[in-house]
Amino acid sequence: MSRDTDTELVNQWRKEPAPLLPLLHAFQNRDSYLTENALRCVSDALKIPLAELFGTVTFYHHFSREENGQSKPRVCDGPVCRFRGTENLLDALNAKPMPCAGRCDSPVPVLQGNEVLIGSDANSLKPLPSPLPPPNPGGIEECVFAHIREEGRATIEGYQKTGGYAALKKALCDFPENLVALISESKLAGRGGAGFPTGKKWEMVAQAEGNPKTIVCNADEGEPGCFKDRTLLDYDPHATLEGMILAAYATGATRGFIYLRYEYPDTMRILERAIAEAKDTGLLGQNIGGKAGFDFEIYIRRGAGAYICGEEGSLLNSLEGKHPFPRNRPPFPVTHGFEDLPTVVNNVETFSAAPPIVKHGADWYQSLGLGEHVGTKAVSLSGDIQRPGNYEVPFGLPLKTLLHDWAGGPPSGQSIQAVSMAGLSGGFLGGSDLDEVTLDEPSIRSKGAFLGAAGIMVFDDRRNMVDVAHNAMAFFAEESCGKCFPCRIGTHRLTERLNGSGGPATESEWHTEVDDIGDTMMATSACGLGMAAPNITRSLQKYFPEQVAAHLQSVSR
Amino acid sequence: MNATAEAQTHTLILDDTEVSFHEGETIYEVAQRAGREVPTLCYDKRLEAFGACRLCVVQLEGARNPVASCTTPAEAGMVVHTSTEAIKKHRRTLLELVASENPEATINPLRGFASQELNELLCKNDVQPGRFQGQQSGTSNGDDNPFILRDYDHCISCYRCVRVCAEQEGDYAITMMNRGFETQITTEFNNRLKDSACTFCGQCVQTCPTGALGDRKAMRAESLPGELEKTRSVCPYCGVGCQVDLLSKEDRLVGIQPAMDGPANEGALCIKGQFAFDFVQHEDRLTKPLVRGDDGELHEVDWNIALDRAAEGFRKVLKKHGRHAVYGVASGRAPNEAAYTMQKFIRAGFGTNQIDNCSRA
Repeated sequence: MSRDTDTELVNQWRKEPAPLLPLLHAFQNRDSYLTENALRCVSDALKIPLAELFGTVTFYHHFSREENGQSKPRVCDGPVCRFRGTENLLDALNAKPMPCAGRCDSPVPVLQGNEVLIGSDANSLKPLPSPLPPPNPGGIEECVFAHIREEGRATIEGYQKTGGYAALKKALCDFPENLVALISESKLAGRGGAGFPTGKKWEMVAQAEGNPKTIVCNADEGEPGCFKDRTLLDYDPHATLEGMILAAYATGATRGFIYLRYEYPDTMRILERAIAEAKDTGLLGQNIGGKAGFDFEIYIRRGAGAYICGEEGSLLNSLEGKHPFPRNRPPFPVTHGFEDLPTVVNNVETFSAAPPIVKHGADWYQSLGLGEHVGTKAVSLSGDIQRPGNYEVPFGLPLKTLLHDWAGGPPSGQSIQAVSMAGLSGGFLGGSDLDEVTLDEPSIRSKGAFLGAAGIMVFDDRRNMVDVAHNAMAFFAEESCGKCFPCRIGTHRLTERLNGSGGPATESEWHTEVDDIGDTMMATSACGLGMAAPNITRSLQKYFPEQVAAHLQSVSR
Repeated sequence: MNATAEAQTHTLILDDTEVSFHEGETIYEVAQRAGREVPTLCYDKRLEAFGACRLCVVQLEGARNPVASCTTPAEAGMVVHTSTEAIKKHRRTLLELVASENPEATINPLRGFASQELNELLCKNDVQPGRFQGQQSGTSNGDDNPFILRDYDHCISCYRCVRVCAEQEGDYAITMMNRGFETQITTEFNNRLKDSACTFCGQCVQTCPTGALGDRKAMRAESLPGELEKTRSVCPYCGVGCQVDLLSKEDRLVGIQPAMDGPANEGALCIKGQFAFDFVQHEDRLTKPLVRGDDGELHEVDWNIALDRAAEGFRKVLKKHGRHAVYGVASGRAPNEAAYTMQKFIRAGFGTNQIDNCSRA
């Protein structure tokens, strides 16, 4: 097969919506890196100033400017994988490290070109489908995982066999306003972690002026320790598509994007197939489901390795081909989103929850939570735990039930020292709080952490928590976009204080500096990254002061 | 009540005082107008508010966190505190963090218009360097062009240079490479300015708040004796009328800075207005008329002799070749009055319509 010419690549993408990322990927797939010529072609075709384009390209982890850069293997050095073979793999493969690639339930992922291989040493590497969620150990009724374990669920036949797209059919028989009202009534809230009421968001977009409106599915699951979206998309892609189509109907949007993280190439192929199936069945395109005038298209846009692109402003800038800095708010995406037009940005899990809610009703969803709590949450559990994996828990479930009864507790002979919250950005819980908290925001926030996207990594008593915290802070420093001062400098200074390369050696001064940096980052950072990163140091200081003291002693020696 | 007056009727509470504002103003603008001292490093009123340095944060009642006043639109009924103890502490920490990323240095004001901003803020807030020690950011670029120093050891990544280049000059010559602490201001493919789209207008230099970008021509005078003086003038190069501040030491013109309040240029200049002033006191500059003698050499003469000689030359041409042998080109640097006189001279004096202006080329 002959290589596509520059012109062929450019012509394939220039007229498409949000063309920059796919065009750059097309050039990189062809040349194995982004040549100067490629950047000049792209700059010319998309009318992006060359300097700006160059800067934007250097922002992303996986766009390479070195010959054969794309084929160089990358090994996950996330908080879980680094205890399970990362270092050996890096040496054996002469590879580059990459931040957590979302396979914490079956480590260690190695990204080679557009393939993901799994294994803990170079000889055992092989492609491996991502693990299915284990059957719900509590026997509790699920929302998003209810059908995910069914054979063939990822195909449209399999999806429809167990009631897939019935919710859409039902919604199309009614007014869009009633769909918005139903979602509002269910009290479904953003499952990416921010918890904004979904119905309210859809309502605001429906009422906002300006067309075309856009539905964006945030599948840039970059938070270390989170891999629920990958599982949802791998095994139940049509649920997310159906949720997006419902959102389109509710808001009047005509175009949709799935912004998928770079590290999920298998998921990309699954989604491409699912979208093609939905198109062939008349569930995407024009007059969807036979409803005259209901038109909606979904495009997949693959990220290029930047945690910050999971932040909705950065994500939108990235889609638009701009430098992926977060946006100043207000205005918010509901009025000024993609191309400054009204836009819904929701997480994969949020969209996946919409069809079952439409099918079973708002009361049903509300009743899934325990006590006063509403609904369920997919939790990604990994690290030092017997049965890692994705678990759908009712809000309000005690953490210890999940850890010990559902997931089998720590490896035998060990005890749990700490768990991370919200992936990493919630910091750690430790001590008696592990036995006290329930999995819901009020309970976890009362301990100074937050549940967020619900990645929970377990660290048993073998782990040095200062080292774990250092690895976490180094991640935030690496991923800080560099726009706002407190985060750009603060994450770096905290990293230095955790590895001993900078900062005072006396304990009280060390704590004062770390507190001051953290307080100012939390209060003044421009987005959630800088606001949340100090949860790492704060919780380390709170639960493990003796480990901090030992660290400072070793540094001063 | 007319529309403008109506727009004025919004008010908010700023540090316990009710102040009015226009629709579309930010809290920062309102606070500025009310005479509050709100510090900032990334703000340049000509540019879109960016919200990077976070020094301008204020406490907004009802908001969980302080908000950046430069990017937050004023809203009726807001209750804003610009200088609580907590806010002051955050600002101090931010300044200490910024100070920690660069080497301590005194920056000569010849480097650029805004070059003292960081040091002045550190001084005003009595911030001593030394806290939050660690690695420093930015790597100087050995770009050897004669105009713009790129001393990124002093860069604080406020992106004013990148933004002024894009928003004001429209060159898009510079960009930010990498991210986080590794951020580096550079050009396409990390090259020298002369290989980029840069037109050397110098606006990046003049908006840089730390002197990381410096005016190399003015910096030649760093070691000259004498106080630095600024004299407001108008750039003589073309008819736009850009206002400039001439920088001088004793009797020597040492540099030029654009007037930020110049109505025609608002801080902008072009490469000529910014950097091409050496002719003023150049040793080769003609200061007296010269005419060629019979010996073939040029000799100093007074104006009468020189003008007579020129007139004689014109007459000879007219006599030999006729009135249309003369073609007048007025200088684009001449004011309207001089251009008018010139065309009168050509039309009435020689009787030809062959008169033009170099700006038309």
